[in-house]
Amino acid sequence: MKKKILFIVALVVLVLWIFPLVWLAITSLKLEEDVLTDVFRIFPKHPTLQNYAKAFSSTYILKWLWNSTVVSVVTMILTLAVDAPIAYAMAKIKFRGRQILFWFVMAGMMIPFQVIIIPLYLQFNSYGLVNTLSAAILPRLALPIGIFILKQFFEGIPDELEEAAFIDGSGRGRIFTTIILPLGKSALATVMILSFINAWNDFLWPLIAISDTAKYTITVGIANFQGVHGTDYSLIMSGAVIASVPQFVFYFIFRKKIVEGIAMTGIKG
Amino acid sequence: MAIPGNKDTRDGVLFSLPFVLIYLFLLVFPIIFGLCISFYKWDILSSRKFIGLGNYISLFKDKTFYTSLWHTFQFVFMTTPILMVAGFLMALFVNSKSLLRGAGENIFFIPYVLSITVIGTLWAWLFQKNYGLFNQLFMLLGHAKVGWLTDPQKAMWSVSAATIWWTAGFNMILFSAGMKQISAEVYESARIDGAGYFRILKDITIPLLRPTIVLCLLLQIIASFKVFGQVFVMTGGGPYGKTRVLIQYIYENGFTYFKMGYSSAMAYVLFLLIMVISVVYYKIMGRDK
Repeated sequence: MKKKILFIVALVVLVLWIFPLVWLAITSLKLEEDVLTDVFRIFPKHPTLQNYAKAFSSTYILKWLWNSTVVSVVTMILTLAVDAPIAYAMAKIKFRGRQILFWFVMAGMMIPFQVIIIPLYLQFNSYGLVNTLSAAILPRLALPIGIFILKQFFEGIPDELEEAAFIDGSGRGRIFTTIILPLGKSALATVMILSFINAWNDFLWPLIAISDTAKYTITVGIANFQGVHGTDYSLIMSGAVIASVPQFVFYFIFRKKIVEGIAMTGIKG
Repeated sequence: MAIPGNKDTRDGVLFSLPFVLIYLFLLVFPIIFGLCISFYKWDILSSRKFIGLGNYISLFKDKTFYTSLWHTFQFVFMTTPILMVAGFLMALFVNSKSLLRGAGENIFFIPYVLSITVIGTLWAWLFQKNYGLFNQLFMLLGHAKVGWLTDPQKAMWSVSAATIWWTAGFNMILFSAGMKQISAEVYESARIDGAGYFRILKDITIPLLRPTIVLCLLLQIIASFKVFGQVFVMTGGGPYGKTRVLIQYIYENGFTYFKMGYSSAMAYVLFLLIMVISVVYYKIMGRDK
């Protein structure tokens, strides 16, 4: 009996928790005039995809999705390209200043990004990079938390493997690409996913760095959408659905890795 | 260490270089540059003028600065306790034997994956005064409409509610990871000794979870201090500036009024504040270890 009650309570909580998202989808399928008069109908009286058609045809939403994809994918690849080598150096190469370098890099985790938006903007402005996608990408590349994750993982790779390769005459670069990287795949995947999500969900910086509507990322685009189509709720909701689809897909593909990554690091924001 | 070699230092530097260059260029330099800017009167169009601590002094006379700072604190106090408790309860649930635990993990976590603008637009719609779902329900129950986002007394609470829905799942993952590390044997022996559910929770789970709780609380406070996106999307800082938070004021000064120096000074105050809170927090929490 007690178990049954708990089950029902849990079920109710879960249904309520997911409901806002269901409501988002429902609203996006309603006719504009029904949104205001037919509030409580769970299944829209006249279900329609016209909002989606309108979102695609009358806004830059496809362009924004594309921009976000470019920004996130490039950020992800470049982050790995710079994070993995230094993480390897810190984990496996005994060189002078290693400890100092480690603390120097980790201190970067303490700094709120918001502190540097003004100097960064001025910097990018003076290079003429404001209002380009590069501006949205570059500040996200230095990801100290990524180094931390990779370093922890690389340290766990047995030294004997490297030693054997060394004796066979492999250089450090070869060892890195043929032993460390393949063995570190799962840690690399975690860092990739974290940097992808970070870049995709970034809001404040692209809002500042990009002012041309066609160059917006999807997060800025949707915020702008609300400003322009303030009362057209079904259209706004269809835009929000479109903006969320890639994230849903990404989540369901990499579910385990995302959870692992967060559990491992506790990053936020 | 792997292999001893006289090329270690060279290799170490070579492998570290790409990151270090980017780091210096896009993090270290802006931090120093930003500090310099904060000593200048600088509005993009005219040339900059050194005014020493002038920006900081005017900050302390600026009423809007104080109210924005206060709103930020309000937000921290409104969200932190609930987010901690909610995350903890969710973690207990997904670590229980309930048939719904798998669904629970997904449902609680999914909002966190969505971007802040989607969350903001969705909740602005739910909270909409005339046609939003919440007020429609209220009217159905014979209650008057509530100005969730337009009533100065309620707007910050509404923004907080959306935030709680959005990020509680993140804390759930942290707590859940901590709970999974507690060995099953500890629980078993407690159960053999006849301890009940709440006794185990109080005497085993919570004490053993202490490191996770300490970390999670700190991350939560820092994250809440940096609130901006949801406010910007849901209320734009209104009504009457009642939800204008510090980051928004920094943003407005920098990019609406182009007061780069002033804005930078404010960013540094925020930075200092977060630093002080983190250090004090670690001192207090680290003491009774």
